Amino acid sequence: MPDETITLEVFRYRPDEAPAEPAFDSYEVPYHEHWVVLDGLNWIKDNADGTLSFRWSCRMGVCGSCGVMINGEPKLSCASFLKEYYPKAVRVEPLAYFPVDRDLVINLEGFLAKLRSVKPWIIRDDVDSTDDGEYRQSPAQLAAYKQHSMCINCLLCYSACPVVGNEPDFIGPAALALAQRYNLDSRDQGNAERQPALGSQDGVWDCTFVGECTEVCPKNVDPAGAIQRAKVSSMLNWYKKMLLPWGQR
Amino acid sequence: MSGPYRPSMPAAWYLRTQPYRVFMLRELTSVFIAGYLVFLIVLLVRLGQGYEQYAAMMESLRSPLAVIAHGLALAAAVFHSITWFNLTPQVMPIRIGEEQVPGAVVAIGAGYLPWLIVSGVILWGVMR
Amino acid sequence: MVAALVVPALVVATGLVLPWLTEPQTQASYDKLHAAVTWWPLRAALFVVVFLSLFHCAHRIRHVLADLGLKGAPRLLAVLCYGAALAGTVVAGMVLVRM
Repeated sequence: MPDETITLEVFRYRPDEAPAEPAFDSYEVPYHEHWVVLDGLNWIKDNADGTLSFRWSCRMGVCGSCGVMINGEPKLSCASFLKEYYPKAVRVEPLAYFPVDRDLVINLEGFLAKLRSVKPWIIRDDVDSTDDGEYRQSPAQLAAYKQHSMCINCLLCYSACPVVGNEPDFIGPAALALAQRYNLDSRDQGNAERQPALGSQDGVWDCTFVGECTEVCPKNVDPAGAIQRAKVSSMLNWYKKMLLPWGQR
Repeated sequence: MSGPYRPSMPAAWYLRTQPYRVFMLRELTSVFIAGYLVFLIVLLVRLGQGYEQYAAMMESLRSPLAVIAHGLALAAAVFHSITWFNLTPQVMPIRIGEEQVPGAVVAIGAGYLPWLIVSGVILWGVMR
Repeated sequence: MVAALVVPALVVATGLVLPWLTEPQTQASYDKLHAAVTWWPLRAALFVVVFLSLFHCAHRIRHVLADLGLKGAPRLLAVLCYGAALAGTVVAGMVLVRM
């Protein structure tokens, strides 16, 4: 054990115990300059308390598994260096605005249902035969949606968004940004199919443009921008439907 | 075995972080702007009623209360405008081919510059 | 958008310029202002500004009130907010038409 340690205060919830009261457990974790919070959590699991449960995988910020609240901010535990906080204690909690299954593990079922509801895949009225070759796309057409395609579903944006906290049915930043990613894709023809979800009260119109989702996104997806643009196109869509009810896409 | 733990949303959630507080302030500017618009309508009513009513209203505009109210309205209106123009590039990204026009250019071109011009026109008109 | 462009200058106009930098108490200055507002393009512009800004504010105030906790009767809240904006717009329209 090196001389320097740092305190990690970790949220614990053990539903298999009775009563299952949430609490914080404090651990003295060895401090290394190059360690991230995830290293600290793994040290705890290996050396101090093997019952600690948390998600992680790639440990390099591309899989989206390790989202947690660190000192009240939604962050990837693999991308948060201990030296940012040393020598102060680090408070680790599960991502905000989600039900907690155990310790730092949140329940994702609600989010997955919301994601499915926006149909985040290429939808075509007419599917060309593969004999005709691939669907071609210019660099400019790719640039139109590429930023929003970088989402790793880490859900930090959900934990930053007060509307997610206040309105449980709000579809949320990541799902709406992904819907927009497909609406902007030149190969896609599914805008009309996505409109019922996007244009609903639980869709883009619940968003009040707080903008924190974009601030915390580790992949620069800019979900806030995607949603505002989706509002504009949802509105234009509505006017088109009202004024020109025939010939819909 | 208990089910998932579901923490509740704190009532004063908007006070908890700096970004949330700034957001709430930004949204509350609409209260001041709405209040100013009501005043503007009253001013138009007085203007239409005739010289005496208009002069009486102008007299009351010189009171300390009116000055303070206008000061607050101005602060709210300016904060509203600045936050609005700064967000414009996010709402309206302009792309030329593959390249994205820098945010500052959009904010100035579609926001600050028109603001300057319109304000200039209004103030010049009123000065006459 | 309209509110962001126009309102700050209007506040300065009615709060500073009109009461302090011009001589509002004179019949001449009243006549000038009244004549200007009777000019149809300006009447229309004022109406548009008031109409759009009132509805924009009503929309945001409605959401702010919901965020602050008034979530019990969302329909009623919407009716009150947009109804107030509509009332203000109608009054402004009537005043401007009869100017």
